[in-house]
Amino acid sequence: MRWIAAVLFWSGLLLYGGSGLAFAQDADAATEDDPFADFEEADWDDPWAEEQQGLDWSGFIEGAAGARWNSVSNLDRLTLGELRVRAETRHVAEHYSIDFKGELLWDQVVTDLDASLRELAVSFTPARFVDLKIGRQVLTWGTGDLLFLNDLFPKDFISFFAGRDEDYLKSAADTARVSFYTEVVNIDLAWTPDFAPDDYLYGERFVFWNPARGEVGAPAVPRRAPAPGDDELAVRLFRTVGPTEYAIYGYDGRWKQPLGSDADGRPTFPRLRSWGASIRTPWLQGLFNAETAFYDSLDDPRGDDPRVPNSELRLLLGYEQELVRNLTAGIQLYAERISDHDRLVENAPLPARARDEWRSVATLRLTHRAWRDALTSSVFIFASPSDEDFYLRPSLSWRRDDHWSLSGGVNLFGGREAHTFFGQLEDNSNGWFRLRYNY
Amino acid sequence: MNSGKWIVALLAGIAFPLVASSEALTDVDTIVERANLAAYYSGEDGRSEARMMIEDSQGRRQLRQFTVLRRNEDAGGDQDYMVFFSRPSDVRGTVFLVAKHMDRDDDRWLYLPGLDLVRRISASDKRTSFVGSHFYYEDVSGRNPALDRHELVETTDAHYVLESTPRDPAAVEFVRYVTRVDRETFLPMKTEYYDGQDRVYRVMEVVQVEDVQGYPTATRSLISMPLEGGNTLMEFRSIEYDVGLPDDIFSERYLRQPPTRWLQRDGG
Repeated sequence: MRWIAAVLFWSGLLLYGGSGLAFAQDADAATEDDPFADFEEADWDDPWAEEQQGLDWSGFIEGAAGARWNSVSNLDRLTLGELRVRAETRHVAEHYSIDFKGELLWDQVVTDLDASLRELAVSFTPARFVDLKIGRQVLTWGTGDLLFLNDLFPKDFISFFAGRDEDYLKSAADTARVSFYTEVVNIDLAWTPDFAPDDYLYGERFVFWNPARGEVGAPAVPRRAPAPGDDELAVRLFRTVGPTEYAIYGYDGRWKQPLGSDADGRPTFPRLRSWGASIRTPWLQGLFNAETAFYDSLDDPRGDDPRVPNSELRLLLGYEQELVRNLTAGIQLYAERISDHDRLVENAPLPARARDEWRSVATLRLTHRAWRDALTSSVFIFASPSDEDFYLRPSLSWRRDDHWSLSGGVNLFGGREAHTFFGQLEDNSNGWFRLRYNY
Repeated sequence: MNSGKWIVALLAGIAFPLVASSEALTDVDTIVERANLAAYYSGEDGRSEARMMIEDSQGRRQLRQFTVLRRNEDAGGDQDYMVFFSRPSDVRGTVFLVAKHMDRDDDRWLYLPGLDLVRRISASDKRTSFVGSHFYYEDVSGRNPALDRHELVETTDAHYVLESTPRDPAAVEFVRYVTRVDRETFLPMKTEYYDGQDRVYRVMEVVQVEDVQGYPTATRSLISMPLEGGNTLMEFRSIEYDVGLPDDIFSERYLRQPPTRWLQRDGG
């Protein structure tokens, strides 16, 4: 029932926002001749103004609620129930700048108040061709749309599956990024001294396949693997030639989720090194991209250790185009190929449930924008022919004005078998909505 | 091009500035070229602050504020544009980059700071709303004149009246558009877009022109939608030409790291 109360509360807030706007319109009527009259001359002042006006704060307040349709043991129906306050600012000095994004979050699902830092980083240019950004920050690269090959920066799949803003799919990490810009090639180095794993399914909010028990469920004690405490390094070499973007990637660190287990069966993050490349270029009426990565699982070079994932090759092809005005479609074909698959099967405790050599996924994204982008409807479909499972993400987002926005959607998972990537998430299928006030 | 056209072009390019507007031009290509230069190519480069007031058909208003940097590779040719948003708060830090080309489709990127994501925008996606306004992405950097056929339909005391039809009608939402080009400044002062039923559904008007460093510059433009209602007013201020922008500003580097020095007034 708690989530019904949340729905009522936030619907009330939206109506309140509506009456507030009615007042604003009355004020407009008095100054019909100058459309900018509402916005004082001071509104022109911006972060680039010569004289610093002190810090300029902005952010949002957001309420969100979501619930699963199936009840499962050990977990609440509520998959999303929170009130979030974001504050952000940027301080620009002559030789450096500092970015700050902080949040306070009341999370009803884990009944916890949490203050978190989304960004606190200093940027400067020590030499003409070098940029540095040091501190907590979000990093993204690669060409996939919600599919990541060479982007091994931490991701938050809990937020993604629960219906939080897509921004939260990317977690922040404490990283030093050095970028070199030369005539021949540009180089990004991102060094994270303390390995930053993904936010994977712990079992506090979502159920998952438990291979030891051979069933889907949420463990009584949340599954959290101990952080190994060593560093990780990501590298990208990139260049744009004419309309075409090329990049080469490298990574040295660990699998971002605890895919391994130690002798006692406790989850671990095995070591990982990866290499890859990507290209993105205009093609026909749209954009084409291709990306590949080889994940070298350093703790299982022969592929015969059942407690450590085998190495794998990942391949992606993508194409995006506007179909008709304001309707854009993007398709992707993605495949993973396990190395030494025969040894994987030989050594698997349950060979029948071992992964197939190939896993393939096709995705389709349709995005429609109406009312000059104020109403965005979107559907994203992941479908795996090899695993016979799927993940459907329809959503609707309405930006009422510069302050209020409302969005809602569904996360629908399904599959023929309970142990596949999306199939194990079937009982997590949920609906959600969010109401945000930007200030 | 035949020799007659060559002579007209020569007159337009060399003789015209000396004889001012005493003689009306008759060659449509020359008028289109000069209008294109006047509207989009003033100076070697430029910087301006801008804001838009978006009013929907119900009278609700929204504001966008941004700083624009532009650099010409050559007059009338390829250009780079960069738009840095500062308001409202949900688009602050978003940057839009256009590499405009004469011989192929423009390249466009959008930087989304929340994800640190450099998103590429496909070429077909250009006559859609620019950040929620009635301006299109294509209006920011200008439509390549070669995409349309132009005809001089009338010369009035103040304006050249041009009618333009798309070479690829399937790629655009208009059937034709009529532009009134000022005979003195060559600024396109009013453009009316016609739909399939020959109704004017979209109008762009220049409502204020100021002299900036010798270049007549449209400092207030209005896009209105007579059929569906709603309009967007765009206003520029603190315009500077020939600020000496380096060409490497228009790159992924400065999408992620705004070139603060070049965004400031009297910067550089």
